[in-house]
Amino acid sequence: MNLGKKDEDSDAGLFFHIDKSTVLQEARAFNETPINPRKCRLILTKIVYLLYQSEVFHTQEATETFFSITKLFQSQDTPLRQMVYLLIKELSTVAEDVIMVTSSLMRDMNAKSDVIYRANAIRALAKITDSSMLQAIERFIKQAIVDKNPSVSSAALVSSLHLFGANKDVVRRWANEVQESINSKGPITQYHALGLMYQIRQHDRMAVIKLVQNYSRGSLRSPLAYCMLIRYACKIMEDEEPGSRSLYDLLEGWLRHKHDMVVYEAARAICDLRDVTSKELFPAVSALQLMLVNHKPTLRFAAIRTLSKLAMTHPAAVFPCNLDMENLITDPNRSIATFAITTLLKTGNEASVDRLMKQITGFMNEISDEFKIIVIDAIRSLCLKFPAKQSLMLNFLSNVLRDEGGYEYKRAIVDAILDIIYHIPESKEFALSHLCEFIEDCEFNKLAVRILHLLGREGPKTSKPSKYIRYIYNRVILENATVRAAAVSALARFAVHLPELRDRVKVLLTRCLDDNEDEVRDRAVMYLRIIDDEDLCKRYIADETTYSWPSLERKLVEYVNDEAAHSSAFDISTTPVITAAQERAERARVATAAAELAVPTLRSTQGGPTPSAPSSTPAARGAVPSAAGDAQAGYAAAMEKIPELAGLGSLFKSSKPVELTESETEYVVSCVKHVFSEHLVFQFDCRNTLNDSLLENVNVVMKLETSEDDDATALVQDKAIPIQRLIYDIPGTAYVVYSRPGGVCPTATFSNALRFIVKDCDPSTGEPDSEEGYEDEYLLEDLDLVTADYMLPSYIVDFKRTWEELGEATEVTETYALTNVASIKAAVQNLLQLLGMHPCDGSDMVKDKATTHTLLLSGVYVGGTKVVCRCRMVLGDDGVTLEVTARSPDQDVGRRVVDAVC
Amino acid sequence: MASIFSAFLNWLRSLFWKQEMELTLVGLQNSGKTTLVNVIANGQFSEDMIPTVGFNMRKVTKGAVVMKLWDLGGQARFRSMWERYCRGVNAIVFVLDAADHDKIPAAKAELHQLLEKPQLVNIPVLVLGNKNDLPNALTVEQVIDQLELRTINSREVACYSISAKNATNIDITLNWLIKHASR
Repeated sequence: MNLGKKDEDSDAGLFFHIDKSTVLQEARAFNETPINPRKCRLILTKIVYLLYQSEVFHTQEATETFFSITKLFQSQDTPLRQMVYLLIKELSTVAEDVIMVTSSLMRDMNAKSDVIYRANAIRALAKITDSSMLQAIERFIKQAIVDKNPSVSSAALVSSLHLFGANKDVVRRWANEVQESINSKGPITQYHALGLMYQIRQHDRMAVIKLVQNYSRGSLRSPLAYCMLIRYACKIMEDEEPGSRSLYDLLEGWLRHKHDMVVYEAARAICDLRDVTSKELFPAVSALQLMLVNHKPTLRFAAIRTLSKLAMTHPAAVFPCNLDMENLITDPNRSIATFAITTLLKTGNEASVDRLMKQITGFMNEISDEFKIIVIDAIRSLCLKFPAKQSLMLNFLSNVLRDEGGYEYKRAIVDAILDIIYHIPESKEFALSHLCEFIEDCEFNKLAVRILHLLGREGPKTSKPSKYIRYIYNRVILENATVRAAAVSALARFAVHLPELRDRVKVLLTRCLDDNEDEVRDRAVMYLRIIDDEDLCKRYIADETTYSWPSLERKLVEYVNDEAAHSSAFDISTTPVITAAQERAERARVATAAAELAVPTLRSTQGGPTPSAPSSTPAARGAVPSAAGDAQAGYAAAMEKIPELAGLGSLFKSSKPVELTESETEYVVSCVKHVFSEHLVFQFDCRNTLNDSLLENVNVVMKLETSEDDDATALVQDKAIPIQRLIYDIPGTAYVVYSRPGGVCPTATFSNALRFIVKDCDPSTGEPDSEEGYEDEYLLEDLDLVTADYMLPSYIVDFKRTWEELGEATEVTETYALTNVASIKAAVQNLLQLLGMHPCDGSDMVKDKATTHTLLLSGVYVGGTKVVCRCRMVLGDDGVTLEVTARSPDQDVGRRVVDAVC
Repeated sequence: MASIFSAFLNWLRSLFWKQEMELTLVGLQNSGKTTLVNVIANGQFSEDMIPTVGFNMRKVTKGAVVMKLWDLGGQARFRSMWERYCRGVNAIVFVLDAADHDKIPAAKAELHQLLEKPQLVNIPVLVLGNKNDLPNALTVEQVIDQLELRTINSREVACYSISAKNATNIDITLNWLIKHASR
């Protein structure tokens, strides 16, 4: 060990302080006679070292160096020659006239005697050759591809692969030779030949299928080649119609291959299949399960990582591996152990949680912060899944909160606790007391401020608010200015909400007036001033509304960039105000969207998460409304840029895209419905799939078709924004704007058609053949405007309280018999889709064979009216009987919600 | 005893007196440079039809002399690089297709342009009128006239008419080269 270290040092010493100009001076030795191979090799190594240190060689320097290096071709010393090749490759992009060595390299690659450097020569040759020279060396490369020396043929194949990019037509002509080398004996040659063959054939689907089927029969010797075949097979299936799995049997067959590598690749490929079923997964999971007990750590790691990913979408499929995974928790490799734990947390049931948590506790000290964060995230989702275990989880979280750790780690823990408080109200007091202890000794200001804010908000609502005041006031005494200011604000909230404590808090606030920080004093003064005045309190403290942060940010950026506007003050009144609940919902959306991005799911790529997909955790459940909401910001930004749409005010809700055509038609159109305060905007995303036509002036003609709603007649088409040019495969967007005077929100059906001018064009250039086009029309499917389009799903903390508060007076009830619905689960999914509201208290989770269920929903109707809804269901012989009860301050809104169900 | 001693002395002498020399072959494309190198190296003529892209390096041992031959490509794109390989050599060999009358002016221009380079002063030049087996080939006198070799005064210039195909005058060429091995 020590010896090795010493060697390393002396090696660095040789190249320490070397300098480009000195080395280039030394390079004169290349011109000497006779040549000293040892010395020259050392100099070459120095040049390579400099190049690898990103030293810049100017064209002239590089060219000089290159030409003096070519003098070394007179030496027959093999190591020197190989070094020369290396330099030629490195300099090939910088120096001029590198083509000079072509003949010499060709002679080397065709050397009769079996010199070792023939392969190196081929690789160097491929680097210096340009398209014009390729014809001249073609013959020799073809010969080399079928050379019986595997290193030579491999080099030729890999070089061809590199040349393929710029010289597709030339390399295609070598297909016969490549075919021959796939059948050769060398495993590596087979692998490379297969790769090149695929490149040549890749756009010919049938040929690729044939390729995969031909070689799946076991004629290949290289496991790497089989892995490639598996990937090609997946690629083929990706392009297939959903549901068809022509090559699945091959993948399954490879699960029994004698090489682990092939087995793993096949198993992973199956796990990654789109819309995979549990029956298809079974053999793959079994294969992975065997790898979990393999003695090679790499295999164990690969298997557990794949299972961990699979567990996010198909926890049930991974469940059979639980026993093996539990053994992996004690694995000496901590990466494997971490994945094992997190996977188990995803697949585990309520009973196994206790045991798991015990194991994790011992394990947390041994892993790095990054892994700890993974574990914390897993625990958070687990806790939301099994609310009954919250005290156990909170204990664990508060314990780890006390341990050493960096900011990211601590933040993850605090986030997890806040999430738990938010979703499981009964945990609140317990969690708050843990957080209080944490801020007693918290080195991270940001976290302390967040927790103080939370205490201020939630503390007064607890059974014994006074105990928090001590913790908060301690901050005022002990902490720095940032935290002190936050603590003052928190104290003030207690005073406002709890009249019995007000006088005592006032004493504390008065003491804060002596603080040496302006901000702290200012806050204390303000709160003391308003605390006794009910109206002021409402305005400044109890106000639950806030500005919509993204649009406030956008407006501020606009203001800062617009020099002309600086003469007047920034006008905040144009920024939309939202409720705190909405703001939280927005934040949750962003978080889940980020999580979705981080974890590529197996779901179909078309419409984001589909409501029918079985959701495993509440986090994933939150994603159902969130995917649309996250897109909403993007839509809003896009529409902001269009002058005709910029003045419509704030966007209330954007629907999910609705397909108005089949996916395989000439023109693919989907529609997104946007609801603004006085307008409806229909956004039509169109794609032209015909490469020989160009569409101009594409208009969407919308006509109000039928409506049972009297309000529908009030809708007036305002304007339509066409697509100027719709070029092949480049999506375009057309808009149609309806105004809805007085904010009417009818349900209706629209018929739609595309009207445009077609011009024939050249498929390769996209240039129209003639200026003359002809008018054409293309019918689209009808579009429904439904109640859900006007409904924003919103979180409420306490459904029951809101329900009680609204009272029976505002209630609207209706009973329906749903005859065509087979199960409670299906009914719940239908309701979620129909109403577009957010499920509360986890009531969208239905037990498998439930016969009765109550679904609780909440939302905000356009115009900002709050709606809560209770749906009671009973499963009978002839379908589901449903009673929908809606409560809302505006009875009309409740009526609309109830009516939407039928 | 004495004979063994003298044999040893001879061997020793050959070891020390083995001379190295470096030559550069230039000339327009298709004048027969690579073919000539093959004839010198292997003693046999082969109809090699691939143009040299860049250069070929050959080592040939003739008697006590090791010749390093830089055989450069004759296409226009490589002519600018001739000079790099001519620096410091024992002799420059300019090969001419004596039967291709159209290209003689171009060959003359390239030769004179090369010899004007300051780096190459005093290096002896051997001009070879190749392909004298063909019917219209120029004679030595004609080559000297048409290339205006007499105007070159600052260095040693020689000119032979040869045929790589029939191995005509290859021996006197080699003799001239070996004579210039030590300078």
